[in-house]
Amino acid sequence: METHNFLKNRELPEAIEKKLLEALGKDEKLLFAIVADLTPEATYGDSVIAFCEKRFFVCSDEALREYVYDGIEDCFVKRMYGNARLVFLRDGKKNEILSFTYSVASLCDMAALFIKNVALGEPFSEQLEIVEATYDKLNLVCPKCGRTLIRQGAECIHCQSKSKIAAKLMKYVTPQWKRLLVCLILSIITTAVALFPPYATKTIVDTVIPNRDLKGLATLVLTLFLCYLVQHVISALRGYLLRISGDRIVMELRNDVYEKAQHLPMRFYDKTSTGSVINRISGDSNTIQAFILKITQEVVVQFFMLIGIIVIMFAMDWRLTLLSLIPVPLVVVGAKIFSRKIAPFYKKIWRRWASVSGILTDTIPCIRIVKSFAGEDRAVDRFKKHNAEWYKVDTASARITTVFPCIIGFAVTCGSLLIWAIGGRWAITTNEEMLSLGLLVSFISYTSMFYTPVNFFAYLSDSYQGALAAIERILDIIDAEPEVNLPDAKKVTHLDGRIEFKNVNFSFDKTKKTLNNINLTIEPGDIVGIVGTTGSGKSTLINLLMRFYDNYDGEILVDGTDIKNLDLESYRACIGYVQQEPIMFSDTIFNNIAYGVPNAHVEQVIHAAETSNAHEFIARQPDGYDSMLGERGVGLSGGEKQRLSIARALLKNPSILIFDEATASVDSETENLIQEAIERLISGRTTLMIAHRLSTLKKANKIVVVDQGKIIEFGSHEELMALKGKYYTLIEIQSLAEKTNRARIEAGV
Amino acid sequence: MANYINGDEVRITKVGTCLVDVEFYSGERFEGLEPRRLFPLSGLRNYITLLDSDLKEKAVIRDLDRLMPDSKKAIEDCLEEYYLIPRITAVLNIVEKFGVLKWTIMTDRGERTIRIKNRHSDIKTLYDGRILVRDANDNRYEIPDVSALDKHSQKLLSYEL
Repeated sequence: METHNFLKNRELPEAIEKKLLEALGKDEKLLFAIVADLTPEATYGDSVIAFCEKRFFVCSDEALREYVYDGIEDCFVKRMYGNARLVFLRDGKKNEILSFTYSVASLCDMAALFIKNVALGEPFSEQLEIVEATYDKLNLVCPKCGRTLIRQGAECIHCQSKSKIAAKLMKYVTPQWKRLLVCLILSIITTAVALFPPYATKTIVDTVIPNRDLKGLATLVLTLFLCYLVQHVISALRGYLLRISGDRIVMELRNDVYEKAQHLPMRFYDKTSTGSVINRISGDSNTIQAFILKITQEVVVQFFMLIGIIVIMFAMDWRLTLLSLIPVPLVVVGAKIFSRKIAPFYKKIWRRWASVSGILTDTIPCIRIVKSFAGEDRAVDRFKKHNAEWYKVDTASARITTVFPCIIGFAVTCGSLLIWAIGGRWAITTNEEMLSLGLLVSFISYTSMFYTPVNFFAYLSDSYQGALAAIERILDIIDAEPEVNLPDAKKVTHLDGRIEFKNVNFSFDKTKKTLNNINLTIEPGDIVGIVGTTGSGKSTLINLLMRFYDNYDGEILVDGTDIKNLDLESYRACIGYVQQEPIMFSDTIFNNIAYGVPNAHVEQVIHAAETSNAHEFIARQPDGYDSMLGERGVGLSGGEKQRLSIARALLKNPSILIFDEATASVDSETENLIQEAIERLISGRTTLMIAHRLSTLKKANKIVVVDQGKIIEFGSHEELMALKGKYYTLIEIQSLAEKTNRARIEAGV
Repeated sequence: MANYINGDEVRITKVGTCLVDVEFYSGERFEGLEPRRLFPLSGLRNYITLLDSDLKEKAVIRDLDRLMPDSKKAIEDCLEEYYLIPRITAVLNIVEKFGVLKWTIMTDRGERTIRIKNRHSDIKTLYDGRILVRDANDNRYEIPDVSALDKHSQKLLSYEL
């Protein structure tokens, strides 16, 4: 049936679909439908909103209501906490028609826009295109894990890699394979050699001593000496080689994680504390290194050892061998219980440790604030509290990690008593051919050696669990979706600077829409001031233009090309970005300015510093451009740092300049200096300036007023003043404040 | 300065979804205010702010329990509508595949399967022992007390907390 071919987010419940189809008129067909997940009573349950050309329906198990578009004045999604409602306004009256959780919020945003625009008489086919694009995007998810894919047909980076953890780790092992193979051969030699001494003991006790064979004794002692020598020399060599391989593995792993961390999008850092990232780079990579070595070395060695000992033991005395195997089931069962008990602790301990290190990364860099608010004691208390939490969990796990193996070890040792008791009895009561003293003594040695590999394999799954937690956290970074270039991304060296925002919608998470239907065109060479109250979305506009976030709806075009189709690195290289808080690296002033252009000529750097009014104060520093900033280095004022960051932006000779409240936190004199620098800088470039102080915007030929994520006013200063809207109010408030200030100064108050 | 409501000096009437009219006995009157928690995690019944349609605060209720019964009911009903944080009453199943956790849970709003992207940042234990869970769509869920859950749920959760 034709009517079944409509867009939907998932299959409609049968009863509801039937009801809807029955409600359709002749020649009327459903265009698209959204299955929402809440009933009007806010319990989980299906309800559907379905759209036709002239009307739309809301249908649940209980009722079907229909609405026409005509007369609807506005339609929007009212976001609450964990749930939202679709609301339309007709005759000034609010009608709430659908409840849903955030799971379908973005679809309902689209539906609200559709209803509003159709009601306002926008071309129906255009609206339907937007709907189709939204549904297409909805299908851009990995069928296995449900994560959003970068583009149609892209392979899900997460599934692809998680299913191949071993392959991922092999990447680090493979380059070391020769060294690891040598280590392995050396280990097998030492293991084989280690099997000899108990046998020699038997010969000495049973043959050499009773026969008073001094020559034989000397030969055996010499052989034992050589055995020990070989064992220790090989151990030293192997240890050295292993250390080299291990260090290389961990070095490569750390490099990869760090490199990846550099290319992760801002939204990763919005949700992950830097402390936890640092922890993963420093701590987890070591855990993984240890595990890799364990798997590639110990498993093979212990396996050979196990087989070797069993063969020798059976060859010596099968009855005693069977006796010595009695505790094996106990070890295996014990280890299984142990693994089950200890598994939850690994994650718990890591979480507690992450919160301890989180406090470190929070408070140590902010020590100035801590001190100025006399917060040392509180910081210590908070640290102690978290540290105590870690201690509690770690000691709880220690009870298991220490007590359990001891119990098992005790049982195994008691097992050797069995051999002493029964084997000893046989040695005493039967003749020597049945069981000699030497054989008994060497057997006891083999038994104790035998339990080393048994224990190793029994607890292998446990160490695997521990490593798995670390691997998972590292893969969290390695597998996280990086900022990507599309395969045919265009490299740019210069931009004219025409910027267009087309129907841009963006939210950091689904709880709040940060930008709402932004449409804006900026011509090359324009100087655009972006104003609005705090939290209105000004900086988010810039964040999207800088491609710090790519997960927005709509399009941002620069010189007519979607910025997602531009090569990220070359695109950002064309933009000069000056932030409110200038960030300096612990490096020289020269290198800080030349950060964006590392091979810049000295005179270019000096010129940039001159243009940004920074040269003079740099020249006054004893070490001039070589002055070290940061720890134990030169302390610069906020204004000085800001001028350095402007020089840094200028050196790139960018096509587009962005100032994000560049003069917000400096005094008026410095502001003038910076303002002067900016004026020199902006000629001939497209410039975007976010500003609180409206005086900063006197050069702007266009002003954008942003409020609650929407552009509410756009035009020149004069046009907006004539409009007497929000911009006018902001200007009035500021001039009033300035007048009052001036009056106060004049009155000498 | 916040205009605090201490006790019975107001009459609050519910007039729509998440909306109330507030009438002070002094004669001051506000229409169509939206009650919201200032501390949605740590203080469910204290410091309820009342916002007008421009999201400007008009008053703050210090303690919900000190209002008159009808007023209290009006605010409680609004908060119930505004905040949807289903309480998890049982964890039926937890599967991890490709790094995504899939929890099947029973809540006071019905059964639901949710996806959790990152166990480190999306599952938080608060100091009072409550556990807050955020799913891949930014919906929130709460486990008021893990020890009150059945043994099976506790066992499943022990691997995640």
